[in-house]
Amino acid sequence: MKIVVAVKVVPDDQDIFVSADRTLDYSKAKPKISEYDKNALEAAAQFAAENAGSSVIAISAVPSKNDDTKAKQNILALGVDELFMATDDALETADSYATAQVLKGIVDSKVPDYDVIICGDGSADLYAGQVNIQLAAALGVPTINEVTSMKAEGDKLVVERTLDTEVEEIEVPLPAVVSVSPDIATPRIAGMRDILAAKKKPQTVEAAAAPVDVKVSVEDIKAPELAPRKNQIFEEGDIDAFVAAVAEALK
Amino acid sequence: MAEITLDVDFEPDFDVIVVGGGCAGCVAAYKLAEAGKAVLVVERGNYSGAKNMTGGRIYTHSLAKVFPDYLDAPLQRKVSHERISLMAPDSNFTVDFTSRELTEPGQESWTVLRAPFDQWLAEKAEEAGAEIIPGIAVEDLLMANGKVVGISAAGEEMTARMVILADGVNSLLTSKAGLSKPAPAIDQVAVGAKETIQLDPAVIESRFLCNPGEGASWLFAGSMTNGAIGGAFVYTNEDSISIGIVATMSEVIKQDIPVYQMLENFKNRPEIAPLIRDGKLVEYSGHVVPEGGLKMMPELVGNGVIVAGDAAMMCMNLGYTVRGMDLAIASGEIAGKAAIQALDAGDTSKAGLQCYKTMLDQSFIMRDMKQYENFPEFMEECPRLFKGYPEMIRDIMNPMFIVNGQPRESLKKMAMGPIKEIGMFTIAKDAMKGMKAL
Repeated sequence: MKIVVAVKVVPDDQDIFVSADRTLDYSKAKPKISEYDKNALEAAAQFAAENAGSSVIAISAVPSKNDDTKAKQNILALGVDELFMATDDALETADSYATAQVLKGIVDSKVPDYDVIICGDGSADLYAGQVNIQLAAALGVPTINEVTSMKAEGDKLVVERTLDTEVEEIEVPLPAVVSVSPDIATPRIAGMRDILAAKKKPQTVEAAAAPVDVKVSVEDIKAPELAPRKNQIFEEGDIDAFVAAVAEALK
Repeated sequence: MAEITLDVDFEPDFDVIVVGGGCAGCVAAYKLAEAGKAVLVVERGNYSGAKNMTGGRIYTHSLAKVFPDYLDAPLQRKVSHERISLMAPDSNFTVDFTSRELTEPGQESWTVLRAPFDQWLAEKAEEAGAEIIPGIAVEDLLMANGKVVGISAAGEEMTARMVILADGVNSLLTSKAGLSKPAPAIDQVAVGAKETIQLDPAVIESRFLCNPGEGASWLFAGSMTNGAIGGAFVYTNEDSISIGIVATMSEVIKQDIPVYQMLENFKNRPEIAPLIRDGKLVEYSGHVVPEGGLKMMPELVGNGVIVAGDAAMMCMNLGYTVRGMDLAIASGEIAGKAAIQALDAGDTSKAGLQCYKTMLDQSFIMRDMKQYENFPEFMEECPRLFKGYPEMIRDIMNPMFIVNGQPRESLKKMAMGPIKEIGMFTIAKDAMKGMKAL
């Protein structure tokens, strides 16, 4: 089974700061694996382990500033055999459609013989949850999202989707694209040998094959205005006024 | 310790495993990798420097020896102002010393932030060929026939011809290796709390009276630790101020205010508040500081293992100079050299590694550690440094500077009153003891 997993590399949201002019300061935010893609990586690794002879290939479409040595090593330390990354600076503000087009380019040229492509629930930056759908449409294969378990049965994939009141079981012919819910697998913590081995695994980083077709334009990215604190101070003993004010604020 | 059995044709994964990617660990790994040895550094934090803390300032002499290009390191400001203050509850007496010699190459010091600085050291080691694994805490040492032959972490084992322990002041592995007691005594360690407050570089320079690129080191003794052995510090970074409190653990636990409240009170002092006004808190941290000096050092050499940096308790706080990183870097360099020597001789046993101890004894590290051996005890025996002397200076200074129409006393009388309160004899004894310990 040839398992492809799509991984986004994003700036670490912990270290993105809002500047005084409400713009976002990314200068301290190091590139890292988009959070839910770690669940997708783990699902891919477990799926590979269940199906002997499988290989896991990670694909990633990022602006060149996210082509980060540590992030790539981290991907390769999480049960991945090989990584293909396509870079284009237009991807910095690209929507899911453009990302899917670049990913399709990687799949067509590097892993045309894939069986299944696994995507995470949504990216840590945009969280549109659309790439799997757009990618499947571009490749002309079926797609299912919110998958909570996967099983290979011949040339079919049997997946479960956990809904509010029931579990849906669906058969999908392969090749296919699935996006997995974070519940599908808890990401592993790479061990010492995984990390050492990752440095020796094959990885290819190339400019995106075709110019990135960005259909959206960004007008402005600004953090919302912070309401100034009211600093309303109640004197000791003024408990009734305090209670009334809290009750009013909660209304 | 986990005992393992080695095959006859045992080939270890690495020549050396270094536990801890701080100053000592990175430098040891750099020296080893430079010499072509296979070396692995395992660091607990997500990156080197993630869990480290300094006041701080580094005396760069030992760094410059290892890295002639040390000025490329993310150092903050060259220290041109040395300030020392004695702080009473309602007064503060400061000495501000500047000298051309303070900033001369080979003896200068720089303020530093560990997160960027240690990452630079780690990069140096990595560029030289060392493998660095961050984000993994080493839990145990592997033993075979009474010799350390590797580490275990998160259920995995990794073997080596020897291990260098550079895992910091809270080293659990030195005691597992039988080189130290399980934990240092609480009167041998201090607890530090620190905030980093961001400010515009020009604002810092004007508030601290410094030229661009230069900065101040400012140490305080007195009332902010509530009488406990310890003090406060302020260091100027490129675009931030490091401000904090350090107080001996055995006394902190007896205090009715916690360390972070001491820091908060210190920041609110009228002498300190203007320095950090309108600054933005960007970082806060807490750490243990080894302050027992020579007497709390573990055994530095074991069978297949040596200890460097804070794990070896190489730290000295003399009140006016506080050192740790220059010792850690030098001990890392010596650890690297000793390991190379032992590996080349094919003997990483305790006997083969004894050269580490010999080289340390010949270095400034052990010379200085011995020189100041009795200082920690002097501090313990002289609580007046933290409560008594700051007030005495206040009581001398107040009548000198206050003019309010009341009759003036002679300077001698003004000075002698407060001095007599503590007692001439006590002051003379403290001065003698202090000078002897230094």
